[in-house]
Amino acid sequence: MSAPSPHHPGWLARLRAGDGLGWPVAILMSVLFLLVPLLPGEYWTQVGTEILILGLFAMSFNLLYGYMGQISFGHAAFFGVGAYATAMLFTALKTPAGAIGVPEFLLSLLVGPPVAALAALFIGFFCVRLTGIYFAMLTLAFGEMLFYIVFSWYSFTKGDDGIQGLLPPDFFQDSANFYYFTLAIVALALFVMWRITESPFGSALRTLRDNQRRAAFLGTNVKMHMLANFVIAGAFAGLAGALWGPFSRSVNPGLLGWGESGIAVFMTLIGGAGAFIGPIVGSVIYTMLQAVVKMYTVYWPLTIGSVILLIVLFAPGGILGIIERRMRAARAGNQANGGDPAAGPSAAEAQP
Amino acid sequence: MSGNILEVAGLHKHFGGLHVMCDVNFAMEEGEQSAIIGPNGAGKSTFMNLLTGYHRPDAGKVVFGGEDITGLLPHKVARRGISRAFQVSSIFGRMTVGENVRAAVHAQMRATFRLFAPARSLGVEETGRVLELCGIEPKRDLMAGELAQGDKKRLELAIALAGKPRLLFLDEPTAGMSIEEARSTMELVDRLNRELGLTVLFTEHDMGIVFNHARKLTLMHRGEIVVQGTPEEVRANEVAQKVYLGEHHA
Repeated sequence: MSAPSPHHPGWLARLRAGDGLGWPVAILMSVLFLLVPLLPGEYWTQVGTEILILGLFAMSFNLLYGYMGQISFGHAAFFGVGAYATAMLFTALKTPAGAIGVPEFLLSLLVGPPVAALAALFIGFFCVRLTGIYFAMLTLAFGEMLFYIVFSWYSFTKGDDGIQGLLPPDFFQDSANFYYFTLAIVALALFVMWRITESPFGSALRTLRDNQRRAAFLGTNVKMHMLANFVIAGAFAGLAGALWGPFSRSVNPGLLGWGESGIAVFMTLIGGAGAFIGPIVGSVIYTMLQAVVKMYTVYWPLTIGSVILLIVLFAPGGILGIIERRMRAARAGNQANGGDPAAGPSAAEAQP
Repeated sequence: MSGNILEVAGLHKHFGGLHVMCDVNFAMEEGEQSAIIGPNGAGKSTFMNLLTGYHRPDAGKVVFGGEDITGLLPHKVARRGISRAFQVSSIFGRMTVGENVRAAVHAQMRATFRLFAPARSLGVEETGRVLELCGIEPKRDLMAGELAQGDKKRLELAIALAGKPRLLFLDEPTAGMSIEEARSTMELVDRLNRELGLTVLFTEHDMGIVFNHARKLTLMHRGEIVVQGTPEEVRANEVAQKVYLGEHHA
């Protein structure tokens, strides 16, 4: 049996490891995203905007789940805090007639991420002391606490009325313009995120995911890395939230609730947590499915429930996980060099 | 006492009512290669856990390189140059072999808070050196979790070696290995000790390996040090014969 060349370029291994998975998928998706506003009518452009914003939100969640190995059921707290920070500044800056200038609009967007990051710093300070189910429960508890504060503090947040009338400047009121604006911001955010996941910090996060104790014995300050990542994930969720208000023209306390947190979890599971672009693939599927299903029936929760059930049972790695497994099978077949293709990777590796 | 890289004085540890470490005094000279032996439950692993910060001693002092490191957290102990490899290989299963070692190198370089530098261009030389040294360079692109047992143990050793530690603890470095793998692993340990001056402390159940590769032995039994000395001295010791060696050489 021929040994694999020792100086393999490594891209295949990276595909297998999941970090580089889907350059082809990413490029294809970029092209498709650029073409969305060419579809007739505004509906699909708006669905596209939603895909991007929620996709960014799910991507930020996956920094915790896919890279650090901790599941958060309260990640929407930072999405909502970002949305409210932007909505409040937006409201303060707009004229009595309801109009807002472009600089004021951009300024109000900029305030979302840092405020969400601050909230994440405070909440993360407690959460990173725990792992696994305890981490998940604590994020859920903090998320629901923030939801309740926003829900009931009428004088400050307008409570369950939410904040209405977030009408962006004229130029951004056009669906296609707002879409391309969102696409540019999300693309930039994903590029920054990708750099982070490919950095020594990103690699340290993966060591925490796989084996926290070992990482500590190598000199990694486990809690500090978890906290830093929690804040980064919160900031990106806050950016997504900042875009949400002007997109939907309003914000409401539900944006902080566990239902919203669940969306990020669902999208990530559907797309695949093991691949960088998994959550945004999940967002495409989730959001489009919702857009279609809601046209015909009111049974959306039943539909998405069934989809999640199928994914968890039959494709635990999500859609990209299936692709990855097929590629690995193909690779193992190639390695066998025309030998028994059923031998699989284990037989190849059993050789000393 | 100068020249000692490690000095342990009066180490005590209780777990509930169980006295697992009782007044242990221990020292290692720089460049030494020694072994701790003893029956299961003697406290060998606990001893290593106490020295590397995984457990906090109830009493006693651990001095490394002239600095008091008693009760420091594991990552702080690691940064001072103490590294350890585990009995049950403790690796990063969903990363490749190369990424495992590279991450360890980054941790020792204290580069893990660099957010935007590409990981693959940092610590490349050291990563390559360690992979080469441990003979797992050809497997660098394989997923660590899918390695055969012997290779996992070699990767375990590689991770511990990344970043040039001054003192290396090996907890049963050859457990689960074939005779051939065990021999080459111990040859590597000897080489690290002789050529690079690395101070090594290992535990081992295989007395053949112990007597061939340790220049000093410490026999532990029920959380206490029973005998300390050269392999010949320990072999000749009556208590040692009774509590441990007897089972092997009866």
